[in-house]
Amino acid sequence: MLPYETLREIELFILKEARLLDEGQFEAWLDLYAPQGIYWMPSKPGQTDPLNVASIIYEDHAILAIRVQRLLEARALVLTPMPRTVHIVSNIEVLKGDATSTNFEVGAAFLCTELQGERQRIYAGRQIHHIAREDDSFRIRRKHVALMNCDGVHAPMTIPI
Amino acid sequence: MSNGNEAQTIDTPLGAEDIRALIRPDHVHRRAYADPQVFAMEQERIFGKLWIYVAHESQLKQPGDFIRTRLSKYEVLVTRHNDGQIYVLHNRCPHRGARLCMTEGGTSRTFSCPYHAWVFRPDGSLSSVPHPKSYPASFDIKDPQNHMQRVKNVQSYRGFVFANLSDNPPPLIEHLGPMTDVIDNLVDRAPDGEVEIADSSFSLEYSGNWKLHLENAADIFHPTFVHSSSVLPARKAPENASILDQDQTRAMLLANGFGFKEWEGIQLSGLDRGHTYMTNFYDQGVLANQKQNQDPVSVRYRAMLTEKLGKERADSILGMNRFNNIIYPNLIINAQYQQMRVTIPLSVDRTLVRVHCFRLKGAPDEIFHRAVRFLSNIGSPASMIFSDDVEMLERCQRGLATETGPWIDFSRGLDNDQTGTDGSVSGAASEMPMRVQFKAWLKHMTAEAA
Repeated sequence: MLPYETLREIELFILKEARLLDEGQFEAWLDLYAPQGIYWMPSKPGQTDPLNVASIIYEDHAILAIRVQRLLEARALVLTPMPRTVHIVSNIEVLKGDATSTNFEVGAAFLCTELQGERQRIYAGRQIHHIAREDDSFRIRRKHVALMNCDGVHAPMTIPI
Repeated sequence: MSNGNEAQTIDTPLGAEDIRALIRPDHVHRRAYADPQVFAMEQERIFGKLWIYVAHESQLKQPGDFIRTRLSKYEVLVTRHNDGQIYVLHNRCPHRGARLCMTEGGTSRTFSCPYHAWVFRPDGSLSSVPHPKSYPASFDIKDPQNHMQRVKNVQSYRGFVFANLSDNPPPLIEHLGPMTDVIDNLVDRAPDGEVEIADSSFSLEYSGNWKLHLENAADIFHPTFVHSSSVLPARKAPENASILDQDQTRAMLLANGFGFKEWEGIQLSGLDRGHTYMTNFYDQGVLANQKQNQDPVSVRYRAMLTEKLGKERADSILGMNRFNNIIYPNLIINAQYQQMRVTIPLSVDRTLVRVHCFRLKGAPDEIFHRAVRFLSNIGSPASMIFSDDVEMLERCQRGLATETGPWIDFSRGLDNDQTGTDGSVSGAASEMPMRVQFKAWLKHMTAEAA
């Protein structure tokens, strides 16, 4: 059984990731990822293979860093005006890990509302974080974002979910 | 007070003269992009008359395999019948008109209408109706009027299936013309001489006319400006830092960053039927330059192809460096990267783009992984490249929807283009490809009914 303090610590870490995205603190957001950490948003429900099946995003820290610079330099046409987001992360459950663990698998549901100019969009789905304890916090080894409409028809996406 | 004349004016179909008035040698009228009547005519005269790509045979391996797609303004099913033949059927029950198939694709020996249970075979013929004795004697199950309606003309070229809604179309091969080269080149890159379409793809929708996407794909002037937001961060990023992709993503982003000097090597080609392509562009990264790349996967792949075809032939296939091969009116193929895009018009200001990649049969798995990566980098909704393109297409549509200054300019390069037997060639800066596209557009839009 996971002590309540550990559970709360994990929850706050997951919520912090979402808040940093909403605040546009993309470099601080990327710092939450381990040097070999991966952000994965599949293009198919139940997708297990990132190599033979295309993904909406399957990027490690190095590629995410390019993505973050693109967001920060705000030269991207698609970022004019800069979108605003509100992430709501809920139904957080520790799927793997106990009192003695340093690695945890954390599931949650999310709702992300994005406003750009006059256009508002809603993204919904489930996410699974693989996090590892590091010093007094955690680092993300892998974030799996299963968008409910991952295999649907899309408009451009800019800010990570 | 309205006497009804206004409505009548709006409903009057456009004539050839109205269409001719929209095109000048170096300018196009905004109505070509923004007028719903022009769009309706395009659906009839371009998407309803030309050969349109509908499927790849690797999606239809077994009898009963089918996919659902669009052909002009119709939703169609592309099927493989029990005898192996491919059919294109309107996705509509002839009984009461209900849409029959709700899924994107799959395998089914029959299509049955859930309303009154008419059941059809994969060739569209009616196989059974429940309670047949209640139908009158005049009702004939074999009458084609009771079958799913077939598109008459379906032809394949090396696995690429095209359909044509007109009565007497020229052979597909005639429409493809010299563009068979690029389909050949894609297929020939497979050591086993066959390609398979990947079962993952992306569907992107933008708020703009379909022609904007086609023009953008033939436009080598814009990347310097439009893609600087991904080129600059890629330039600052360290080499080979990614653990995932042998630097493929970074190299792809960098490939859009070239100056006016580097244009010198690029040549644009435009063919009579509206097809266009560019030569010597976008050739960085592990998937490009398979003729020379020294990474172990490329070396292994090249050896496999060489073993099958001999060095000279393999080098010639791998050396073909043509980008954005556009088969008019809506198919874009990049053989070198095993990529394909299909532009599907939905309305005058709404377009669907389907982005696919292929597996080269007999090539190392890693070659396919790279094609999948390429697909994600350029075709995903989160693409750092295409998202900026889409933004510009949408801004163009916003501007073209207003009545202001009706003519838009396609004059760049007009004085320097060279016309040969096969079509036109120009340097990178020319808008010749768009002029070629509009020349074909004008021809089809004003053609006398056959």
